[in-house]
Amino acid sequence: MTDAKTIETRLKEEAKKLLESGVVSVVLGYGPGYDEKHPMPFAASTPEEAENLVFNEFCTANMARYIGRYPAGTKLAVAVKGADSRAVIVLIQEGKVKREDLVMLGIPFKGLKDQATGREIDEKTTGATYNPVIYDVLLGDLIREAAPSPYTVLAELQSMGRDERWAFWEKELGKCIRCYACRKACPMCYCDPCFVDQTRPQWADKSPNIQGNLMYHLTRFYHLAGRCVDCGECSRACPVNIPLYLFHKEVARECEEMFKQKAGMDINDKPVMVDFKVEDSNDILE
Amino acid sequence: MGFEPKIQGIACNWCTYTGADLAGTTRLKYPQNLRLVRVMCSSRINPSFIFRAFQLGADGVMVGGCHPGDCHYGTGNMYARRRLAITKKILDFAGMEPERFRVEWISASEGKRFAEVVEELTNTIKELGPQTKFKIEK
Repeated sequence: MTDAKTIETRLKEEAKKLLESGVVSVVLGYGPGYDEKHPMPFAASTPEEAENLVFNEFCTANMARYIGRYPAGTKLAVAVKGADSRAVIVLIQEGKVKREDLVMLGIPFKGLKDQATGREIDEKTTGATYNPVIYDVLLGDLIREAAPSPYTVLAELQSMGRDERWAFWEKELGKCIRCYACRKACPMCYCDPCFVDQTRPQWADKSPNIQGNLMYHLTRFYHLAGRCVDCGECSRACPVNIPLYLFHKEVARECEEMFKQKAGMDINDKPVMVDFKVEDSNDILE
Repeated sequence: MGFEPKIQGIACNWCTYTGADLAGTTRLKYPQNLRLVRVMCSSRINPSFIFRAFQLGADGVMVGGCHPGDCHYGTGNMYARRRLAITKKILDFAGMEPERFRVEWISASEGKRFAEVVEELTNTIKELGPQTKFKIEK
């Protein structure tokens, strides 16, 4: 695996080259935060600004989140790690951005660390995609090691009884303060307005109580079915540490099992929820 | 008095709702626990309807649509099938008994089948007891 320092140097070089030649107008990458352990999302729009780009193991943010902030047709370069590249693919599938408007700077990386805890993000949380799925420029060597299954962590919840599982989610979702940081961090949550902000009909109670939280989170889990790329940004953004990724993983697993398609792996696929197959079995409803 | 469940039915206009009509006109008996809402197609059903029904006090939810391949609009129920399948898995993983949510394909000529399904679902839910997990306390 190429180390983070080398990736950072190559990221700066590539970004400078792209901005100088005018191929792109903005490079989405990571910039310095208040210290080394807290790099922030950063958009460089001049070659000088590109000098500020950084990359280290704390660069967890999913830069696919910021693509939608630029008007359609803006030429962008995006630094993408494994899961981020899958997020970009889903955005392309959904027509939010065009492939030809993007230059993807692929970063193969294993061993990201959580900014808040400093712990490594492994497949038990959300670190099971090492290599970018699509890229134009590769900033490090591809990781040969096979990525582990992201779903092993679900075994515990699946083995629980229903009442026990309900108790677990009631406790976890009951903590939610409805800051909507999960929605803000998610590269797939781009609806305007979000269903939870609608007042006619008002789907969910807006005050933080278990019923309102339940409605918000269950609907959000459904909206991300077949689209969630397991980047884990929602769970890391959460100020009260709700393990949202567990539910997203379960929904992703079910989608993979039922529809034989993993989210964000092929630019030509359609997301499973806006597609159907005549051969889909009625057994999936059991 | 035993427990009488409230069941929210959502039925497509062309098949299940007409099937329910047929059950009525042929004077078949089925439990009165079902409250049926008509939608134009099963793909009109937003999964949030189902979560919301449970929150507003339904003990069970039944969704009826045309048999796959027979949709009045061609492919609506094929989309609905995927959506409702995921909805069921979400309910299950959240800890709700998936038996409380039932999707049935009932055509306009299956009045008898409609009555049977309602009967079955009512009995299942009577055994499960009142739904308290999602219900908003009032």
